[in-house]
Amino acid sequence: MTSTACFMIVSRNDIPIYEAEVGAAPKKEEAVHQHQFILHAALDIVQDIAWTTSAMFLKSIDRFNDLVVSVYVTAAIHTRLMLLHDSRNDDGIKSFFQEVHELYIKSLLNPLYLPGSRIKSSHFDTKVRALARKYL
Amino acid sequence: MEPDVSIETSCMIRIAVLPIGQIAPSLFRDYVSMLDRHQKIDLSTINSFYTEHQKSPFSNQPWESGSLRFKFMIGGSPPSPWEDFQSNRKIHAVIGICHCPSSPDLNSVTEQFQAACKPYAAAIVHRCFAFCPADSQLEQHDNKKEGSLIMFPPADRQTLEFHLQTIVQDIAASLLMGFENWVLQAESGGTILKTPLDSQASLVSEEVIKAKKRRLGRAQKTIGDYCLLSGSPVDANAHYSTALELSRLTGDYFWYAGALEGSVCALLIDRMGQKDPAVEDEVKYRYNSVILHYRKSFIQDNAQRVSPLSFELEATLKLARFLSRRVQAKEVVELLTTAADGGKSLIDASDRLILYIEIARLFGTIGYQRKAAFFSRQVAQLYMQQENRLAAISAMQVLAMTTKAYRVQSRASTMKNRPQSEIDVDQADNSKMHHHLVVSLFESQWSTLQMVVLREILLSAVRAGDPLAGWSAAARLLRSYYPLITPAGQNGLASALANSAERLPSGTRCADPALPFIRLHSFPLHNSQIDIIKRNPAREDWWAGSAPSGPFIYTPFSKGESTNNCKQELIWIVGEPVQVLVELANPCGFDLNVDSIYLSVHSSNFDAFPISVNLAPNSSKVIMLSGIPTEVGQVKIPGCIVHCFGVITEHFFKDVDNLLLGAAQGLVLSDPFRCCGSGKLKNVSVPFISVVPPLPLLVSHVVGGDGAVILYEGEIREIWISVANAGTVSVEQAHISLSGKNQDSVISIAYEALKSVLPLKPGAEVTIPVTLKAWQLGSADLENLNKNSHGNLARQAKDGSSPLLMIHYAGLLNPGESSAYGRRLVTPLNICVLQGLSFVKARLLAMEIPAHVGDNPPSVDQMDGGLTEVVDDSESKTDKLVKIDPYRGSWGLRFLELELSNPTDVVFEIGVSVQLENCNDKNSAVVNGDISEYDYPKTRIDRDYTARVLIPLEHFKLPVLDGNFLIKDYSTNAPASSKSSSFSEKNMKAELNASIKNLISRIKVRWQSGRNSSGELNIKDTIQAALQTSVMDVLLPDPLTFGFRIAKSITEVVTGSDVQNNSSAVKGSVVANDMTPMEVLVRNNTMDTIKLSLSITCRDVAGENCVEGNKATVLWAGALSGVKMEVPPLKEIKHAYSLYFMVPGEYTLLAAAVIDDASEVLRARAKCKLLDEPIFCRGPPFHLRVNGTL
Repeated sequence: MTSTACFMIVSRNDIPIYEAEVGAAPKKEEAVHQHQFILHAALDIVQDIAWTTSAMFLKSIDRFNDLVVSVYVTAAIHTRLMLLHDSRNDDGIKSFFQEVHELYIKSLLNPLYLPGSRIKSSHFDTKVRALARKYL
Repeated sequence: MEPDVSIETSCMIRIAVLPIGQIAPSLFRDYVSMLDRHQKIDLSTINSFYTEHQKSPFSNQPWESGSLRFKFMIGGSPPSPWEDFQSNRKIHAVIGICHCPSSPDLNSVTEQFQAACKPYAAAIVHRCFAFCPADSQLEQHDNKKEGSLIMFPPADRQTLEFHLQTIVQDIAASLLMGFENWVLQAESGGTILKTPLDSQASLVSEEVIKAKKRRLGRAQKTIGDYCLLSGSPVDANAHYSTALELSRLTGDYFWYAGALEGSVCALLIDRMGQKDPAVEDEVKYRYNSVILHYRKSFIQDNAQRVSPLSFELEATLKLARFLSRRVQAKEVVELLTTAADGGKSLIDASDRLILYIEIARLFGTIGYQRKAAFFSRQVAQLYMQQENRLAAISAMQVLAMTTKAYRVQSRASTMKNRPQSEIDVDQADNSKMHHHLVVSLFESQWSTLQMVVLREILLSAVRAGDPLAGWSAAARLLRSYYPLITPAGQNGLASALANSAERLPSGTRCADPALPFIRLHSFPLHNSQIDIIKRNPAREDWWAGSAPSGPFIYTPFSKGESTNNCKQELIWIVGEPVQVLVELANPCGFDLNVDSIYLSVHSSNFDAFPISVNLAPNSSKVIMLSGIPTEVGQVKIPGCIVHCFGVITEHFFKDVDNLLLGAAQGLVLSDPFRCCGSGKLKNVSVPFISVVPPLPLLVSHVVGGDGAVILYEGEIREIWISVANAGTVSVEQAHISLSGKNQDSVISIAYEALKSVLPLKPGAEVTIPVTLKAWQLGSADLENLNKNSHGNLARQAKDGSSPLLMIHYAGLLNPGESSAYGRRLVTPLNICVLQGLSFVKARLLAMEIPAHVGDNPPSVDQMDGGLTEVVDDSESKTDKLVKIDPYRGSWGLRFLELELSNPTDVVFEIGVSVQLENCNDKNSAVVNGDISEYDYPKTRIDRDYTARVLIPLEHFKLPVLDGNFLIKDYSTNAPASSKSSSFSEKNMKAELNASIKNLISRIKVRWQSGRNSSGELNIKDTIQAALQTSVMDVLLPDPLTFGFRIAKSITEVVTGSDVQNNSSAVKGSVVANDMTPMEVLVRNNTMDTIKLSLSITCRDVAGENCVEGNKATVLWAGALSGVKMEVPPLKEIKHAYSLYFMVPGEYTLLAAAVIDDASEVLRARAKCKLLDEPIFCRGPPFHLRVNGTL
């Protein structure tokens, strides 16, 4: 399991709808902020790269210091699953993204969930963290 | 590292620009801006200043197309250790700028300038520009003729600029000549060129030949640099090629990379203005090589002291800048990411600062705003580490630039960028908003980042000592992210706001609102007293059609009009105060003191009144803001001005509306109003408000108090309504009308009282009397009354059952005005009707009082109605009532008994009066008019008691039994009725009903309670119901009437007058054991002749028949039974007989008749069902007293 990992789901209009620190390292508030800043900045790159490839999984598109940003773009470009990590386990990250994508689709199918609003489901959170332990 | 590097930097001549003497910064900036235009000097323009002393080393100087480039270093720059390596880093010239009026002594200026030039040893040209010299200074200057000081005589700007241009061209020529000199010297003599990279050790150990070659190569590279500076790329390229060759041979990678960089610059300058993809590729290729060689030149042993890393990064940035112009985002991003990685190992903090600044700028140029913001924030963090005020200011400014990317801009900056019209549109059309628009409002809401950025801005502003920026940041932080901040943090922000405000001058305005949240609650409707009505000038009743009339909310006819004013419209009047309700919310955990809050109106025709409010933690409050419109026109209310935390801010309703919309969509963290416990409110949009000129204003009150008038059912009372003009314009027209329920309870209104005082001047008052009559309470009302007997008065007065008095009034109509307005004053006539006397039931009672048989034959009429009127007129009317003459008796006397109960707590007195129609005045005592009224004695009903009131009904008997009234029965008996009969039937029925009504209307039951309550009981319906069944009996006389009398002797009959006189003596004196001649009178009341057989019986006290049977005590002579007779219509027939009473005592005489061949009328009257049923007609009993023999 990687020591640092920050996972975020960014919805249409660049609104973050889910965020989780899934790394094993002890969490510091400053670091969490920095992680989100890096992910936020990486959106600029995602928006260009997403159109250049048909793949949904964009490997390490950005980095800052030792931290790498991997992105998984859903088919409609509206939703981006972004992971900031310090390991280079591409396969694991890809599996992680695929499984989380499935989870995300499930929550989208919930008729009570308004697309574009924050995902508050604790079930979703638990599952994502379990997947992070499994793959990262 | 240096900021703002690009490939072309290598060909720029650096000129230090220094302020000399006293000079105001703004002036200095102004002079520099003039200088700044001459960054590029074409070689062709300096031809005239160029004097060739020797052969120019720049053989390929492009005099026609080339140019020199200047880079003005404002305020100078410290010498760089790398000047030898890159000649463009040297300061080649120094320009001093002096403002003569502030430094009068030119000598000292010269001295100061010379001192300032000292540090710039490499400078070839020194010039001091003296602006705006006085005449004396000019003279002084002329005398001295000193070279470096140049005077700019006062002139207009254009002349000055031209003058400056000439001087700069002169400088350029001098520089060019200087460079030529330098190059000639360098070519001849060996100059030692060193960089900090060259260690002492390497000098010792290097081989001599290699060192010489290396020196040669370095010299060639430097000559190339000078060629570039002189604007001769071809010459430069030639020297660079040599340098490249030499340094490659000697393994001098650092200089190799430098020469390569120079050659790229030469290439670019040479191909200036050409877009050649091949050149681009060449530049990319060569620069990658440059970067590689800089990296190669890294020497481990002096890495602690100095490193070529900064050159590698600079080269990366130069390439990135070059590519960014060609929009090759991907490569630029890669280069910049690499550069950012390299930044970690930079030793110097300021180098890293410059690197991050440059990265941020480059990301900005390729449109990666978020990346730019990220690196800007890194820069700000580096600044913040410096812990000084200037750095904090820089940090604050850099962070302010990031706010756009992080969407935490100050409203001041967004307002500036938006055109005013857009704002107007936004404010006008905020009612409808689609989901995606709502979402776009909250684009990029990364609350965590936003909070961090705002906190950093706050921190840097505090350090930088900028209280306004700090206040603004704290306000944005508190307003937008209060749900994410702990109560302690909220308190901290509140104190930060207060602290900042302390350092600000009072009355400071800030574009960013803090707390509270303000939303529009409602516009209170006009008080009904001051309703405004649009005037329809075409009509006399100008108010008609302005308010929806009729039962429908929507009428197809009004549709056309309503299209243009689809929005709610509000009319305010100049000079009359108006109120607007707004709701404030304080979702934070501290007490919020709003020093003042008032409506913000941009149209400047409105005076708003400030108020101050205190909001407890987590509370919301609806407050009323008021103001006075001052001018005719439109009023727009976009929000409120709030003075809170020591700063004045404007809060827009629209912002909060958007926020609430976002909260509803789950896009915003929290709804500030809901978390304060305030309910959900409909989105209120600001209506279109227009201000109209002053109107008259009537106010009304009921004289004697505005409380409800409490009336008992049926009570009649007069009230006075006082109407005063409280406006500033006189009332010219006024019209009173009624509306609402129970309008008929208003009996009269004195319209003329109002009309007569028009025009009603301001301040004038008029009193209008109105007469009211309380209505009857319905059954539902009564139920309510019974349910809750207390506290219902107010409710009843409110529930709208009272009528409304409406006065439409207006001032003078100006002919020019298109839309004039009038007003409507609605005065509710608050009537509270109490249950008064309540009617329990009504019934008809029959009363039989047998008449005495006397000498005096009772008249026919008196036989019918037992009631007699006392003949004496002098007696008061009240004594005339039900007095029964014992000799006439009363048969068929009927009373209408009304049972009334008094549930109230006052005493009622009931008086019954009957209007009598004196149609036949033969026997009527009252002769003084056709219609007379009889008042019966008053009946008093105590509280909670029930009483019965008797109303005698005899007077209503008709004199003749006519068939007319019985047609109904007749027709039912004969079903085969013709059409004509049905017609007449209808007619007759109507007549009957009319006569019943007539009867009822003559009975009036009036009541009085206390001194001033009086009214009439409305019991018509009940009487009618009671009468309906027995109306025949009441109204119609019997077909036959019977009477008995004692027959007189003939002489007595002749002298009837005597009998009359002494009748009292003999009256009723029948003596036993004596033959008593008697007569029975049979009268036919019908219009037909009746055949009948009469029989007479006599009963004693015990009711035994004493004429027939075993114990007959009465003997008779003549026929007593089966007397056949025929009575002509409306005539009477006497039948004489004699009785002999053997026992004295009371006897009762009864006459009865069986009618033969009864007509239909009779049959109907008798209500017999069968055709052959005999009709039996019975007369009233007559008493006869038989005295014993004396």
